[in-house]
Amino acid sequence: MHTIKVRINGKDYEDEVEPRLLLVHYLRDKVHLTGTHVGCDTGNCGACTVFLNGEAIKSCNMLAVQADGAELTTVEGLAKDGALHPVQEAFLDKFAIQCGYCTPGMMISALALIKSNPNPSEAEIREAIEGNICMCTGYEQIVDAIAHAASLMRQSRSA
Amino acid sequence: MLNFDEIFVTRNYFGKPVRRNADTRFVKGEGSYVDDLNMDCVYAGFVRSPHPHAKLGRIDTSKAEALKGVLAVMTGPEVAAVTKPIGSRAITRPTRQHVMATGKVRYVGEPVAIVVANDRYTLEDALDLVEVEYEPLPVVVELDDAMKADAPLIFEEAGTNVLLDDTLTHGDIDGAFRDADLVVKEQFRVQRFSSTPLENWAIIAKYDKGTDSYTVWSNCQQPGRSIVNISGCLGVSSNKLRFIVPDSGGGFGIKLALWPYAVAQCVIARKVDKPVKWIQTRREHLLTGTHTPDCIVDLELALKKDGKVLGLKIQDRQNDGSFVHTAGIYNLIKFATMVGCYNIKATQAHMMSIVSNKAPTVQNRGVGKPVMIFTLERLMTRAANQLGIDPAEMRFRNFVQPEQMPHTTPSGEIYESGNYPETLRTALKNVGYEEFKKQQADLRKEGTYIGIGLSASIEPGTSNLGYYYTSRGTPEYMGNAEGAIVTMDYDGNVSVLLGSVDEGQGHATSVGQVIADMLAFTPDRVTMNTRMDSLMSPFLGHSGCYANRFNDVDMGACIMATKKVRDKVLKLGAHMLKVPESEVTLKDGTVCWKKDTAKAVTYKEVATVAYKQILLLPPGVEPGLKEVAYYKNEIAKLPNKENFNVQMTHSNSVHAVVVEVDTESGMIKFRRYVIVHDCGRHINPGIVDGMAIGSTVHGIGTVLLEEFIYDENGQILTTSFVDYMKPLAVGLPRFELQHLESPCPTSLLGTKAVGEGGAIGSLAAIANAVEDALTPFGVKVTSLPITPEKVMRAIRETKVI
Repeated sequence: MHTIKVRINGKDYEDEVEPRLLLVHYLRDKVHLTGTHVGCDTGNCGACTVFLNGEAIKSCNMLAVQADGAELTTVEGLAKDGALHPVQEAFLDKFAIQCGYCTPGMMISALALIKSNPNPSEAEIREAIEGNICMCTGYEQIVDAIAHAASLMRQSRSA
Repeated sequence: MLNFDEIFVTRNYFGKPVRRNADTRFVKGEGSYVDDLNMDCVYAGFVRSPHPHAKLGRIDTSKAEALKGVLAVMTGPEVAAVTKPIGSRAITRPTRQHVMATGKVRYVGEPVAIVVANDRYTLEDALDLVEVEYEPLPVVVELDDAMKADAPLIFEEAGTNVLLDDTLTHGDIDGAFRDADLVVKEQFRVQRFSSTPLENWAIIAKYDKGTDSYTVWSNCQQPGRSIVNISGCLGVSSNKLRFIVPDSGGGFGIKLALWPYAVAQCVIARKVDKPVKWIQTRREHLLTGTHTPDCIVDLELALKKDGKVLGLKIQDRQNDGSFVHTAGIYNLIKFATMVGCYNIKATQAHMMSIVSNKAPTVQNRGVGKPVMIFTLERLMTRAANQLGIDPAEMRFRNFVQPEQMPHTTPSGEIYESGNYPETLRTALKNVGYEEFKKQQADLRKEGTYIGIGLSASIEPGTSNLGYYYTSRGTPEYMGNAEGAIVTMDYDGNVSVLLGSVDEGQGHATSVGQVIADMLAFTPDRVTMNTRMDSLMSPFLGHSGCYANRFNDVDMGACIMATKKVRDKVLKLGAHMLKVPESEVTLKDGTVCWKKDTAKAVTYKEVATVAYKQILLLPPGVEPGLKEVAYYKNEIAKLPNKENFNVQMTHSNSVHAVVVEVDTESGMIKFRRYVIVHDCGRHINPGIVDGMAIGSTVHGIGTVLLEEFIYDENGQILTTSFVDYMKPLAVGLPRFELQHLESPCPTSLLGTKAVGEGGAIGSLAAIANAVEDALTPFGVKVTSLPITPEKVMRAIRETKVI
């Protein structure tokens, strides 16, 4: 067993973990942050995407011990003081959720894009979520929601 | 039937794109899917057969049992010894199959043992420690082999691998082919594929000693039937099984038949006396139990020179793998959809469900409808080309006309509404059909190959469940219906329980809109618990989320229960206002006097009388404001081979697609994708658009990417999303979607089927476009998927995809 220290959504955790424990299972089963989902075994679907030290990563492709010392943000960390994050508002506004299972990972990937590219084109949005599979929507409303989120975030920055 | 105008008091929310605020939990990561339930579970997993066909020998569980953290191991034969066999629904031959392998294994991945351990990781170790002896048997993989006279039998007791073999003839089919100027026929092959919900199957089973009863939590799509099946296999009364469906990460039909796993888990949960959780992995999901049947369809059209279709014959051979519960279902749905949008007077359907050493099949979005419309619409275009008639014109000449509605097909389907010519006219206009032809000729000269494809399809909804038994007598289930409980609470707000479940369609929002307009208040005052719980929710054997039925019977049950509550609120309100009941109405969450709306009592005040100040109730009125209603679609006919309606509502659409085929790489690129869809009235256009587009992308995956591939030894080669490719955001077109509105006269709201449409209409439209693009190369499309490799081979050598 190994001891790891991580900061998740602004809160510090210290836990004993097996070396083979996947980061996604650490988040879900140990910390009980179940918003991060598992949809495949191979890193294709992106339902487990979280921020690790500011970078969007797939938490099923990483061991918990590799995250020792890292700062993580999961979907549960997006809303602040009870107010939804603009990306969350945008996903609701544009009907970008159906079953909701891909939504957390999709929103993290969207935010990673908007951080580096505040005004992405449709093609750039589509490319940015290539690592996230949605089985329900056919992506169109998600693409629209991400453009909408970027717009909301630009507005709030200029305000 | 309640009149549409009698349903609503206001029209503030019905038909508007109301935001899905009822599902805010999903954007906050606060959904509650089965694996999220925090209840001190232990973990179950299955040892699965590596052989496609083998006698099951000794199973040595001792090493696994000795591993620290392992709680129990049970073999397939041990589970079979305490459970009853699985029932079949559509096939006619005798078969015997249990929830796990016993005696022999019939496909790669069949469960032979169940293991329970304290955590997921110990479980994986333990699964590797179970030693199973197999004696391999000859393998049958493909349809052609399974049908040979000397083929090894999958179910010996059936005496054949053909478990359903039935022919249904309606109208003068011999006359139609005798009078034909031309017969056009083709053989089509469609692969195995799956809509693969992003959340895999998930089940928790718990046994309670004190009450000698079971509780099952699962992401099952069809709780009504699963309760019957699970309690039946366990041999317990259905009141000894509590069934709960929390949030579910997509369904598409794939979660209709997960119940055999719940049976095995109940058995072992009783042994370990702890809640037992099984979370299927993606590999397991793709390996077993989630496939459509692959099939060979021979279709024949009898035509006059002017393009009029006189008759239609289908021979449908489908490879149903090795699961008797669902075998044969696709055949029967194809039969029921076979004339599509056309006024064809004579049909013959020869249906064969064939078993093999492939994995079980399950209902997938649209079941047999996508393949039926694919083959029909391919052949309509083929026939048009042979007759020198434009493919669009060919369809206009054969459509059921709007003034002919309601139209009864030869076998008894009742098309209640729709304007098929207008749907096609709109699509042709939107895609610029005539201009396209000029553009196509110019581009060909430059070596750019573009093509246009059309398909016109019906999208039936609400199955009349007896259809499974058209081949074998009295059905266990008939018609279709749903139950709802609507409660006005102490505060004058409303809560709703439904027997059905939500797989992501936003039922809570749609129901909130309708009830808000029925009660003249706001949707935020309506709460719907979409987590079906058999202890609380009203349900029937039909209950579930399938067959496009929500907008019909589910909504019908909600409306009728709300109507009962409303009637009582009006009665109490009138009594409290001391005016006649005929003189009160509803406004802004109050019961008020029509002559002076300021004279009003709020719903909360009414509820106070109903629940607390019950001595103030009018004489003879019961306390409380909770009502249950069950609603059935009235047009279902009794099962009967001669005249039977398998589906009860009929949406329709036209897809008009322009593709460009790269003749150097075989890649297919979308240039335009036009959809004109008519599903009657919309409750929430934002939700309808999402389903129309989402289902179309399922079709695109089917046509271009997805295939479960087996080698000749019966080993499946596609068990991850690396090998089994799904559509991604890149490479998809921006859809040009337009809606027409032909209200359904037989559903309360005029709404019709929504969920499956694109998955039905897209296959033929894209295939027709590819064939059109490749006309200069003489390439014909007769199979799916249309992969770059197949395109290149066809261009260079075979001329057939």
